Amino acid sequence: MQSKIDKFTIPIGPQHPALKEPGHFEFSVDGEIVTDASVRLGYVHRGIEKGTEGRNWVQSLYLLERICGICSHVHATAYCLGVEKLAGVEVPPRAQAIRVLVAELERVHSHMLWLGVAAHEAGFDTLFMYSWRDRETVMNLLEGITGNRVNYSANVLGGVKCDISAEQDEAIRQGVDFLEERTRHYLEVVTSDMMFLRRTRGVATTPKAQARELGLIGPTGRASGISHDVRVDAPYAAYDIYPVKLITATAGDLEARFIVRINELFESYRVIRQILDTLPEGELTVRMPRRIKEGETVSRVEAPRGELFYFIKSNGTDTPERIKVRTPTLPNMASVLVLAIGHQLADIPMILTGIDPCFSCNDRMVVVKDSGGDNRAMTWEALRQYGIEYYR
Amino acid sequence: MNTLTTIITLLIFPGGLCLLLLGLAYEWVDRKLVARLQNRVGPRWFQPLADTIKLLAKEEVVPENVQARLFTVLPVIALAGALTSALYVPLFGLKPAYSFEGDLIVAIYLLSLLTLCTGLAGANTYNRFSLIGATRTLTQLFSYEAPFLLALFGPAIVAGSWKISEIAGYAESHWLVLTQPVGFIVALIGLMGKLELPPFDAPEAETEIVAGALTEYSGRGLALFHLGKGVELVVGLTLVAAFYLGGVANPLAFFVKTLVILLGLAGLQALFTRLRIEQTVGLWWRYGALLVLVQFLALIVWEGWVA
Amino acid sequence: MSVENDLNTAANLLHVWTQEATTPEPERLDVRIDVADLLAAVKTLHDAHWGYLSAITGLDLGAEAGELEVLYHFCEGAAVVTLRVRTPRTDPSVPSLYPIIPMVTVYERELIEMFGVEVTDTPDPSRLFLPDDWPEGVYPLRKDFDIADAAREA
Repeated sequence: MQSKIDKFTIPIGPQHPALKEPGHFEFSVDGEIVTDASVRLGYVHRGIEKGTEGRNWVQSLYLLERICGICSHVHATAYCLGVEKLAGVEVPPRAQAIRVLVAELERVHSHMLWLGVAAHEAGFDTLFMYSWRDRETVMNLLEGITGNRVNYSANVLGGVKCDISAEQDEAIRQGVDFLEERTRHYLEVVTSDMMFLRRTRGVATTPKAQARELGLIGPTGRASGISHDVRVDAPYAAYDIYPVKLITATAGDLEARFIVRINELFESYRVIRQILDTLPEGELTVRMPRRIKEGETVSRVEAPRGELFYFIKSNGTDTPERIKVRTPTLPNMASVLVLAIGHQLADIPMILTGIDPCFSCNDRMVVVKDSGGDNRAMTWEALRQYGIEYYR
Repeated sequence: MNTLTTIITLLIFPGGLCLLLLGLAYEWVDRKLVARLQNRVGPRWFQPLADTIKLLAKEEVVPENVQARLFTVLPVIALAGALTSALYVPLFGLKPAYSFEGDLIVAIYLLSLLTLCTGLAGANTYNRFSLIGATRTLTQLFSYEAPFLLALFGPAIVAGSWKISEIAGYAESHWLVLTQPVGFIVALIGLMGKLELPPFDAPEAETEIVAGALTEYSGRGLALFHLGKGVELVVGLTLVAAFYLGGVANPLAFFVKTLVILLGLAGLQALFTRLRIEQTVGLWWRYGALLVLVQFLALIVWEGWVA
Repeated sequence: MSVENDLNTAANLLHVWTQEATTPEPERLDVRIDVADLLAAVKTLHDAHWGYLSAITGLDLGAEAGELEVLYHFCEGAAVVTLRVRTPRTDPSVPSLYPIIPMVTVYERELIEMFGVEVTDTPDPSRLFLPDDWPEGVYPLRKDFDIADAAREA
């Protein structure tokens, strides 16, 4: 061993039990205290932005929806809204309402998932198991509406593909009632369990000024008192008919992030009921042109993790010229590195999870590392063939 | 005692094989209870045994840059320590196999050997997670050990003996949990700390340091450490039941009382969030040690005044 | 404040450097400025607390135009102001916004590796998304990069 050790580095990732997706963090520690941090992403980079440039507008929708498995619907919504705006197409109100309905159900599913993961990182597996059990309810509802548990493909260009029947209406109401009761219980747990509060209260505290400087967005930012929510600031789809209340907190620590996300669930339940009560009648889709008029647009959507930003440029053909996706995890990620410094190693998984990171969202070439150790880039056809032969 | 009885005592019953199987059975009970409390299905009854057999059959990978001999011998010492300590406690409600004045202290220190070996095993490897795990294991050892020891000395003081069998005999007619509730609680929680059960599982917190000190262990070494843990669980439960819950004079009392304690432990495991290591140390020295020390002094004064 | 007010405020703040301003959609304002003025313009928006930097988009205008365009999107409520700067394709370079908005570094790292735009004075130009053995000088989001070609060469 060296006579003098300047720093002791703990690598977290690309594979590590704390990470549900690959990412690589290096934390330098002095005893248990973190002194430095760095990040390397891209382990799930799939070149989706580039991929859209070789596909037509419809194909791109399904590709973009696969940026993220948890919040797939918001990607599709952001894309559809943008393209419809470019094409000058007016989507029927019923379709817009169903988009919002699915988006809110997705938010419920995503926040419940986060609650479980965050509890697990803190070593509170009981809460993890219970919240994931209850999450099945909303997964089943989503499956009932769209036919899929993840990657719902509820959106099509010019509307939605699924309708809400009377039975589904009833099922959603029952599911939401059940979830609301459970959520009330979870709110009580995260605000009153002394042992849990010891791990969340005062940890990763971000005052408003610092949060603004770090560029925190979404529920993470709102927990520090940053009142940004695209659903409120710039209502899209049917959010102007079904307004949501802005949920903020001031403490800025992990506890505040739990409280904000759980309170957002109540708001989602309210909006879901309101939509079911006043779901407008009418068509689900309108005809979309194959070629989209030349132009550029910006489409912003509030994903469960924060503002999702799409920049779409059309050159008047049937394929997009450029689609830029800025997912909410990217601006929040930088905050982890800053906030980690000075905290205990034991808090790191919690701080990381506190922003509800989604690496798949962040990383968007297919590079296959084979046993020989050299990398090859594969074309889509080659990869498809490889897949077919692998499973033969 | 003739040689055959000695061999049977050491290797088959109550030490050795039966003890190992009992350890695995108790591990299963613990896992199953926690799983049910967490709304999970939990493992099947033979799962710990199957895990052990599988691990024993697997190749043991010795990482580079470690003291290979130390690496292989540590799990053996750990298990041997746990098994030896079991010889001095009234397992299955029977008289201890061996007994002498002061065996309580010897048994407790033999139990700590497992933790010490885990710490050394972690420090022996170059894995960063192991090293941090080792530090945490040993830090935790220093925090719960003294309170746990004091909690077991309480019954010894009132019984007026350092012999486990005599203390257990005294406890049969006195439910010490009623007269020394603080000692009972500290002993129970100390046992959780000793076994690194949640919320005291910071030394092996998987979301931070993977598997802690034992990250580099696989195959036989890991199996031996696991078996050692199982034995430690049984010995610890027996000690607490024998000292505080009115003794374990017959097999029925033994199983009922130890399983009741295990149920309590499972409940506590499911109830709490993992403590950070500095919170663990703080909890023990600020509350655990202090409370049990006050009770301990009160006992000494009481005994001295009465006598 | 309404969207028009926000956009008017922004237009007034930026008019010193504005080369060309358009409103492609009611809630958007596109302002073309010179690369040299970028820092001053961003500083003005930032000091006036006008919105926050939402994203940086790189655009390849193609080999014929010979230019790359970098878009800085600022959002305030529903209003979106986009600062557009152009930089030659052969030697693209923009100044780093790090001194004004420290969190911008992840966006800039993405811009560097995807478009090969040199961001001067950015604290950490290392790779964020692309693999370590990705060839130097190959920028996947430029129009002349073709995944099929890249696969054949590899």
